[in-house]
Amino acid sequence: MKLASAIVALVVLLAGALWWVAQMAPESPIEVDNARLRLVPGGGPMAGYMEIRNHSDDVIVLIRAASPAFGNVMIHRTIVRDGQARMEHQRDGVRILPGDSAVFKPRDLHLMLMQPQVALEVGDQVEVVLEFEGIDPPDWPVAFTVVPVTSQ
Amino acid sequence: MSPITGRISVATAVALVALLAGCTDEGWHGKNITGLMPALEFSLTDENGNSVTEDVFAGRPVAMYFGFTHCPDICPTTLARLAAASRRLPEPLGDDLQLAFVSVDPARDGPEQLDEYTEAFSDRMLGMKGSQKQLQALTRRYRITYGYDKPDADGNYEVSHSSAIFVFDAALEPRLMLLDSLDVAQMAQDLERLLAPGD
Repeated sequence: MKLASAIVALVVLLAGALWWVAQMAPESPIEVDNARLRLVPGGGPMAGYMEIRNHSDDVIVLIRAASPAFGNVMIHRTIVRDGQARMEHQRDGVRILPGDSAVFKPRDLHLMLMQPQVALEVGDQVEVVLEFEGIDPPDWPVAFTVVPVTSQ
Repeated sequence: MSPITGRISVATAVALVALLAGCTDEGWHGKNITGLMPALEFSLTDENGNSVTEDVFAGRPVAMYFGFTHCPDICPTTLARLAAASRRLPEPLGDDLQLAFVSVDPARDGPEQLDEYTEAFSDRMLGMKGSQKQLQALTRRYRITYGYDKPDADGNYEVSHSSAIFVFDAALEPRLMLLDSLDVAQMAQDLERLLAPGD
């Protein structure tokens, strides 16, 4: 059966090609989506939100963030307990298990970006460098889009 | 425990139970606080630098939030929801409702800072601040507290504050607490139900 042999050969070849492509382009260890920075007028601190997915086989920890557009960036979480709101500095960073993700969202985890160094407008792109433990190289630059303060 | 503190504790417990039971019983998304707290009364400085009292809202309902402008997450989130909810109200209810932001961080929040901040949410939002004495007089009335963390090396400090919005009717009687967990539609429904004529 010449035809059957040809089909088998083709399938084997295709599978091989797919495996080769997969090996050539290894999956990025992490992925950062929906990175946005909520514009607060008046020079006060602003909040940065995003979703970080850990595609690697190791635990990763977001330990620091910095941006040329801000004097200081901290990792915070808003805690509401018994009707009282406060922010908690995440001193040990944010741990993300393999295959898991960390969602930075309003009333929860957020980057607090302080001392704006430049005047920002809605639609601007701001670079924020995330620093991780568990990936190499540790620095992960992400472009945050400036969104209105009224966006949720 | 002295008989007096005992009586106060019982009264507080009864008020708390009434407060917690409020929403589920009557179909409010927020908490019904009608009759549980005294009418609005304050002496503060507004975003234009003027001394103001509750008379600034006289005859109109007001939704009041306590926060600070160096609060990048929950304050803008809650204020934006409130502003969006007020825009969803049918006229003239939406026009009638006044929005107020009281800063409990007077050391950092000057009138200009407050003006710029409130303007970002609604041109009908009035920013106010006060001395510690003035702020304590107002917050104690509504059994809420605020506090400051120790400043870090840069002099930055965190402020804890009440997460709820207090809604007062046109007679400035406290009627509802809108929790920060409510979405825009839920806030709008509660506000419309409270402010609709004949209710």
